[in-house]
Amino acid sequence: MKLAFYPGCVARGAAPELYKSTMLVVDKLGIELEEIEKAACTGAGVLQEKNQKLGDVLNIRTLALAEQMGLSVMTICSTCQGVISQANHRVVNNPEYLEEINKELEKEGLHYSGKTEVKHLLWILLEDIGIQKLQDMFNINLSGFNFAPFYGCYLIRPSDALGITENPKRKHSLDIVIESTGASSTDYAGKTRCCGFPILLINQKNSLKMVAKHTGDAKDNGADAMVTPCPLCHLNLDGYQAKARRQNKRGKADLPILHLPQLIGMAMGLDPKELGINKHLVSTAAFIKSIKTKVA
Amino acid sequence: MSKHDLLIIGAGLAGLRAAVEGVRQGLNVAVITKVHPVRSHSNAAQGGINAALTDRGDDWRDHALATIKGSDYLADQDAVEVMCREAGEAIIELENMGVIFSRDDDGKLGTRAFGGQKKARTYFVGAITGSALLHVLYEQSVKYDLHIYEEWFVSKLIKQDGKISGAIAFDIKTGQMELITAKAVVLATGGAGRVFEPSTNALICTGDGLSLAMQAGAPLMDTEMIQYHPTTLAGNGILLSEAARGDGAYLINSEGDRFMEKYAPDYMELASRDVVSRAEQTEIDEGRGVDGCVYLDLRHLGKKFIEERLGYLQEVALEFRGIDLSESPIPIKPGMHYIMGGIKTDLNGATNIPGLYAAGECANVSVHGANRLGANSLLDTIVFGRRAAVNSVEYIKSFGSLEVDEKELSKEKSRIQNILDRPRGMRSSELRNKMGSTMTKGIGVWRDKNSISEAITKMKDLRGQLPNVYIENKGKVFNTDLVSYLELEFMVDVAESICQGADIRLESRGAHFRTDMKTRNDADWLKHTLVQFEGEELNTTTSDVTITDWQPTERVY
Amino acid sequence: MEAQIKVKRFNPENDSESFFQDYSIDVTEDSTILDGLIKIREELDGTLALRCSCRASICGSCSMKVNGSAKLVCKTRIKEVSPEGESVTVEPMGNFPVIKDLVTDMDLFWSKVKSVDPYVKTNFKPEAEHIASNESMTHLLGVMNCIMCGACVSECTALEVDPTFTGPAALAKAYRFVADPRDEEKKSRLDKLNENAGVWDCSRCLACVEVCPKDVAPMERIVKMRDLAIEEGYTNTSGYRHTESFSDSIKRSGRLDETRLALESTGLLNISGLIDLAVIGIKSLFKGKIPPPLPHKPEEADKVTSIARRLDSQESEE
Repeated sequence: MKLAFYPGCVARGAAPELYKSTMLVVDKLGIELEEIEKAACTGAGVLQEKNQKLGDVLNIRTLALAEQMGLSVMTICSTCQGVISQANHRVVNNPEYLEEINKELEKEGLHYSGKTEVKHLLWILLEDIGIQKLQDMFNINLSGFNFAPFYGCYLIRPSDALGITENPKRKHSLDIVIESTGASSTDYAGKTRCCGFPILLINQKNSLKMVAKHTGDAKDNGADAMVTPCPLCHLNLDGYQAKARRQNKRGKADLPILHLPQLIGMAMGLDPKELGINKHLVSTAAFIKSIKTKVA
Repeated sequence: MSKHDLLIIGAGLAGLRAAVEGVRQGLNVAVITKVHPVRSHSNAAQGGINAALTDRGDDWRDHALATIKGSDYLADQDAVEVMCREAGEAIIELENMGVIFSRDDDGKLGTRAFGGQKKARTYFVGAITGSALLHVLYEQSVKYDLHIYEEWFVSKLIKQDGKISGAIAFDIKTGQMELITAKAVVLATGGAGRVFEPSTNALICTGDGLSLAMQAGAPLMDTEMIQYHPTTLAGNGILLSEAARGDGAYLINSEGDRFMEKYAPDYMELASRDVVSRAEQTEIDEGRGVDGCVYLDLRHLGKKFIEERLGYLQEVALEFRGIDLSESPIPIKPGMHYIMGGIKTDLNGATNIPGLYAAGECANVSVHGANRLGANSLLDTIVFGRRAAVNSVEYIKSFGSLEVDEKELSKEKSRIQNILDRPRGMRSSELRNKMGSTMTKGIGVWRDKNSISEAITKMKDLRGQLPNVYIENKGKVFNTDLVSYLELEFMVDVAESICQGADIRLESRGAHFRTDMKTRNDADWLKHTLVQFEGEELNTTTSDVTITDWQPTERVY
Repeated sequence: MEAQIKVKRFNPENDSESFFQDYSIDVTEDSTILDGLIKIREELDGTLALRCSCRASICGSCSMKVNGSAKLVCKTRIKEVSPEGESVTVEPMGNFPVIKDLVTDMDLFWSKVKSVDPYVKTNFKPEAEHIASNESMTHLLGVMNCIMCGACVSECTALEVDPTFTGPAALAKAYRFVADPRDEEKKSRLDKLNENAGVWDCSRCLACVEVCPKDVAPMERIVKMRDLAIEEGYTNTSGYRHTESFSDSIKRSGRLDETRLALESTGLLNISGLIDLAVIGIKSLFKGKIPPPLPHKPEEADKVTSIARRLDSQESEE
């Protein structure tokens, strides 16, 4: 399988361990990636607040670049996936708007037909690789472990832009993948809620309340770690967990936050250090030890 | 004990309009409502509100004639004149309050065509006119800081020395019962659709005010005039607005024919509602229907037009039938919708009981006579809601002080406690369901001596069974079991009155169509029917119709 | 067919805490959840409390959580949520105190609506209507479709952690007035909405957009008001700085410069904020998680810059 790769800004910035673990995992999965070098940031919904059209042009441009490469797109960030899907949905349902955007893209020799598929690695595991084949690649059975899924808003809302009606399993994709490793998926209120990242720099108090609630609830319900397909969520849930839980009296920062490829890599038997699990702000030493014990 | 000048029962359009006027007139006003104001059934009106704006070439007398003809000449013409003359001002005021009426190309208020009228004078907001108006009136109640007893249920009106002195009500949320005194009361409780099953009406339309008025000694007028709306969904009775036909939709039978050609060649689908409903029922009865329905066809209007002008209809069609109106016709049938009959009032909302007023659907001025034109109900509520409040001012100012005996409260508390204490028996839903099917059968689009007599007997029987109903929920908090029963008691009064009215009117007129007496008889029956309690029994009389400029003629569409 | 409905019960007169009760009720193939609940109330259990009225999705009474997410139960078919006959869980709306069973206390909800001065403020003209384009009125139709059911409030993730947030319903209502060409208080409305607990507290999670049964899209209205507030010159918020910094970063380099974003959003004069950032920054540095000082740029980033410039000038022409 060959796919155009859109890593997003954070995988190249504050979460380099996501980029690294993705590369290790896709290698094992037999996916060849070609990065869309010219693609710009999606705007994450923030740019769209100020200038919706610019956001749409930049995202459709990304899709047009992939189309030029003749490939479907893979993302590794819920926010990227959501924002690009929303832009795609807007133009596919409004041919006049698509034409307007194509006029801009033509200046660069690009054109978007509306037919390129964009999928998060999570959906690719579920739909293109398939759970059976994925499990065949696992070396370690993680039964006994309990992982709390944290989807990230933009991967599950709005459902019409994300193809959830046509692919209803996407609603539970992260639970399914967690369970495929033998681990159980923690049942807690926050799995489809907001991590607070969008308001981190606007209303930190509320942002941290969200982090405290979700990590606290997950931990209370028996989670050994939290898994998220969104590096922005990861930044908040990991980076600010200590401050959040302290401020909101939910104990210490004792819930490791994993990127999705790190979970997959672990189940495949890859070294946690190689996967960058030791690079997180919330200590993962004890967790890594418990994984190693399991392997032994 | 709370004290007010003016107590308004019901927070729909008529109630809120009256309340806002009362506040503007400097009165101490309170509104009491069993649901939050925006949940009132006014929000279900879809199509629009009529008005003849004289500064753009329309004539209120044209609107008046259409209304009177629509009423099959039973409307009191002085009342119709008042409503049509004041309509223009009412619309402008609503726009000033902020209603987002649709506009023409020149930015002025735009219109759509509607039933029973040749000239388009129906002002509208998409297909949610009632909701848009109600929300704006609610906004006005916020602006005027109106005192609202929200989710309080009125169980009884209080009189002292033959004059209204307030009401007894309880807070549904806590069960706390209170005597609320007022020098004047306006009943604005809406219709009584739940007496029938199915009905377009909400579950809260149980005729509370109609019964309260009767218990206080006021008569109900023309109760046999029950409007069956031509386009309702089978089964649940949900309404598809006349606006569809106003905007060009067709009615077709199983053979694909626009059958209205046979019954109303001039007005076609926009004939008066009783004419259209009877046409549909005839088609169905004669085998040109499908599953008891005919079809409403909007396909030729196009998807974009439907979504912009008739969006709510598309929503209903998709949600409740899985039908896209731009692609498929939708099965509909006549469904019980509105009660033209109601508490008899004068032109200013006053009943025969000093201090008791009524406005809106629960009142009968009469502007709608034997059949109401679409988009006249919203107008009725606004015009007469305001008038009732204005009229009460002088009465209230000349009232003097009001002292009410608390013993009324303890009496009512005991009565309700006794109901709660009843031993195990039948549930109120059992009787309510029986009532619904009986009334639909007995007082349907067609009725005759047999169907009416059967309904009378069954309703009497039902009343006899009321003491056997038990209330499973003995609690104080949100006891809908108790509320349902009290509503049932009100509904029995209304149902029996409807049957009585149908029984004594020995002709067919407007919505009251007797298959055993098919013609209109102006010589004997150009009269209103009146039903009133004499002790425990219902007594029927008649009264004259006020004719001013429009002599009754043959009614042809 | 037989429907299994699991209802969350709570009676303040008897219960110290809520519990679930299972009901089995016979319904037709196209029955809605409301049909089922009413039947339960009428045939099985007269103590069940719920609000309902019109049955036709226009009164807004019957919003409740169905399998965890708020819906109007009068227009939700049982088969839709439980195609194989699985049990449907019905609970009262989230983020509201519960009065009894499925009935929630809406007092705070209504007072928030009242707090945005929800009535048109304009000069009264008794002679004629205010002139307004059909387009402007049709635009308001979208937000006028709001029936105040509370579904958005039930699912709002910001309200979940901060009950003082004005909330999606009240803010969508505020938009209805801000966008009404006849209203004369646009500037002062935006001034107030720009403040604490107003438009900048929305976490942009799309939950309200997803659940709204009338497609009002409250979040989009909130975002639009942020834009309008900025246009009116209300720029003294970290929200404004955040949006500007994000935007500028992309226009400049095609990518997000996280460090600069963090600094500019916080505000270069906000000493305590900057110290706070520094703490996280140092921790991240030790873990090798600091973004490179010059952000990874896409190839031909100048193309992005020129697109941005072109669209900006297009917008200023409009």
